[in-house]
Amino acid sequence: MINYILRRLVMAVFVLIMISLVSFIVIQLPPGDFAQNYKRQLINRSGMAEEDAEAAADLFRERYGLNDPVPIQYFNWVWGIVTRGDFGYSMSYSRDVGELIAERLPRTLLLALLAHLTSSIIGITVGIFVAPRQYSLSDNVASFFAFLFTSVPRFWIALVLIYLLVFTFGQQHVSSFHSPQYALAPWSWAKLWDFIQHIWPVIFIAGLGGIARNMRVMRGNLLDVLNAQYVTTARSKGLRESAVLMRHAVPNAMHPIVMNQGLALPYMVQGELQAAVVMSIPSISPMFYDSLIFQDIYVTGSILLMYGVLLVVGNLLADIALALLDPRIRYS
Amino acid sequence: MSELNQTQEGALEPQETEHHEGYFELVWRKFRKSKPAIIGAVMVVLLAVLSLFSDFFSPTDPMELNLQGSFTPPQRIHFVDEAGTWHLRPFTYLQYVDLDLETFAPIWSEDRSQTYDLKFFVRGWEYKLLGLIPMDLHLYGVEEGGTVYILGTDKFGRDVWGRACRAGRISLSMALFGTLISIAAGSVLGVVSGYYGGWIDNLLQRFVEMVRSFPQLPLWMALSAIIPPTWDSLSIFVMMSIIFALLSWTTLAREVRGKVMAFRETDFILAAKEMGASDARIIFVHLYPNCLSHIIVVLTMSIPSIIMAEAFLSFLGIGIQEPWVSWGLMMHSAQNLETLGGHPWIMIPVVFIVVAVLGFNFLGDGLRDAADPYAIVR
Repeated sequence: MINYILRRLVMAVFVLIMISLVSFIVIQLPPGDFAQNYKRQLINRSGMAEEDAEAAADLFRERYGLNDPVPIQYFNWVWGIVTRGDFGYSMSYSRDVGELIAERLPRTLLLALLAHLTSSIIGITVGIFVAPRQYSLSDNVASFFAFLFTSVPRFWIALVLIYLLVFTFGQQHVSSFHSPQYALAPWSWAKLWDFIQHIWPVIFIAGLGGIARNMRVMRGNLLDVLNAQYVTTARSKGLRESAVLMRHAVPNAMHPIVMNQGLALPYMVQGELQAAVVMSIPSISPMFYDSLIFQDIYVTGSILLMYGVLLVVGNLLADIALALLDPRIRYS
Repeated sequence: MSELNQTQEGALEPQETEHHEGYFELVWRKFRKSKPAIIGAVMVVLLAVLSLFSDFFSPTDPMELNLQGSFTPPQRIHFVDEAGTWHLRPFTYLQYVDLDLETFAPIWSEDRSQTYDLKFFVRGWEYKLLGLIPMDLHLYGVEEGGTVYILGTDKFGRDVWGRACRAGRISLSMALFGTLISIAAGSVLGVVSGYYGGWIDNLLQRFVEMVRSFPQLPLWMALSAIIPPTWDSLSIFVMMSIIFALLSWTTLAREVRGKVMAFRETDFILAAKEMGASDARIIFVHLYPNCLSHIIVVLTMSIPSIIMAEAFLSFLGIGIQEPWVSWGLMMHSAQNLETLGGHPWIMIPVVFIVVAVLGFNFLGDGLRDAADPYAIVR
């Protein structure tokens, strides 16, 4: 078991190295370097003269080692992240990228995890409800909605929700976590309620597809399990149907759901990405999108890396959870 | 064709008179029975026809600017006129715009004084059918002087319906092109990995695992944001397809590998080997055709995800660029809350996306069940 976890950890480190490499290559691909953008920005925004801006850009190159060969730059970047938590410098925010990520990543995580939690609970419950009623009206309705929810682009659902919230219900401050009066206030029940009112659309959008997926997986597994002989045995012992379902069938149908958790996290993060970009909720996602538009390369690279870390850690946790849950898993 | 085969076989082996169904006949028989699969196929064919012959289906040139008609709401098709008489031939009214003097919001109303009859198979603006045959025939149109925008117009006064049909060309062909690239890469790597096994297999599988753990959507966004918007439309299109293929070949590589590993130990492959067939011959003549049905299934199943991703990227403005048009790009202006609030009909292209995604999913499900007609149904 320990051996298995260790092996998974080594694999994860390799994957992370690859992801950091790819992130770095991606931010190096556009023509021109970071300092050139900086120079352009100095000229455009603060009206600096060409020579002064060039001098400032040279200083910048010196300071961030942009004159070094690209492989050295990569090692410096990774070394900075690993040893000092230094992700580089953001032009648009004029701040350290590490600080920005530390500020916003927890929000993204919170939103994605909440979406994950609600969609798992609702999806599994609906799955358990419809599986014994195969091809009934409720089953067909649930299947129809499951298909629909996974086919509608999530950015579009976000658009519709914004439209409804703003133009029908007249809610202001859609793209924030709090109403202004609570922004600086300490946490209280009223603030929590206000918080929930602001974040539910993102959770709803990110979670919809997850509900459908969980429901389909749960329904399929449960149908398989309900055909198994030990379920017939349990029934013929004279157990109540609810006991057969909850005690014998459901626990055995749960494994694929756990196995899917590693895949579900990226799905939720992507859902959060789409919803948050459209609603411009100040999580990590709109920052990522803006950095792409303004070529704020260290933000782009660092956030790509963070998404990779999220995925790898999620997969790792799911694998370990499954190994703990299911003694039949072979550690190879 | 099948009759011909049968007579030939019959001539060779006179005792065998029973007709044997071929693989594709069996597949078709099974496919036909599944209702969702048929519905899916109909949806896909419908969209393909709409986009291929989009010029025929759009009464006005979907590329021509008409700034007076900017953001016209969907026009109603009437059967009953002001006087209450019922017309057999549907007609439209002209729409005119007024400004609300308090909010300065445009208010559209119908000019009920004159009716414009809707006509079918009319001659209108000129186009080239399939880019080859010059034509000016259209499915429907309206009398001279009238307008017919059944889904409204966009910011530049272009017909949303006509543009949505035309956008299908880009959105669907990009999904198809992207999947074809990923199939070319994925199936070759999958066959190689499954056939040779050993360290090659190990290496390729670790590589697949690595690619699979990349954050798909963020990487797609980052890569397609790098493409300079100044490139010509075709290069952007090809580049985006390659970007989509880059991360989506892994599913196929895995599935094909599994199939090939199962086939590797079968008698007909062993027989081919004993007869001295080269590896290349075994792979391309014996293994590949046997995996083909499976590959087609994966192709159908992976198209929806590319359609969705392309729509999102184009919606954000980092995908397809004007003057080309895709379903996502048509909703680009909906990003602005003011535009969205005043003109909710610009969100209509989503219906096409949903139909495409549902259609390919249903079709893929049906094909997956039908691709293995020898399986015993429980």
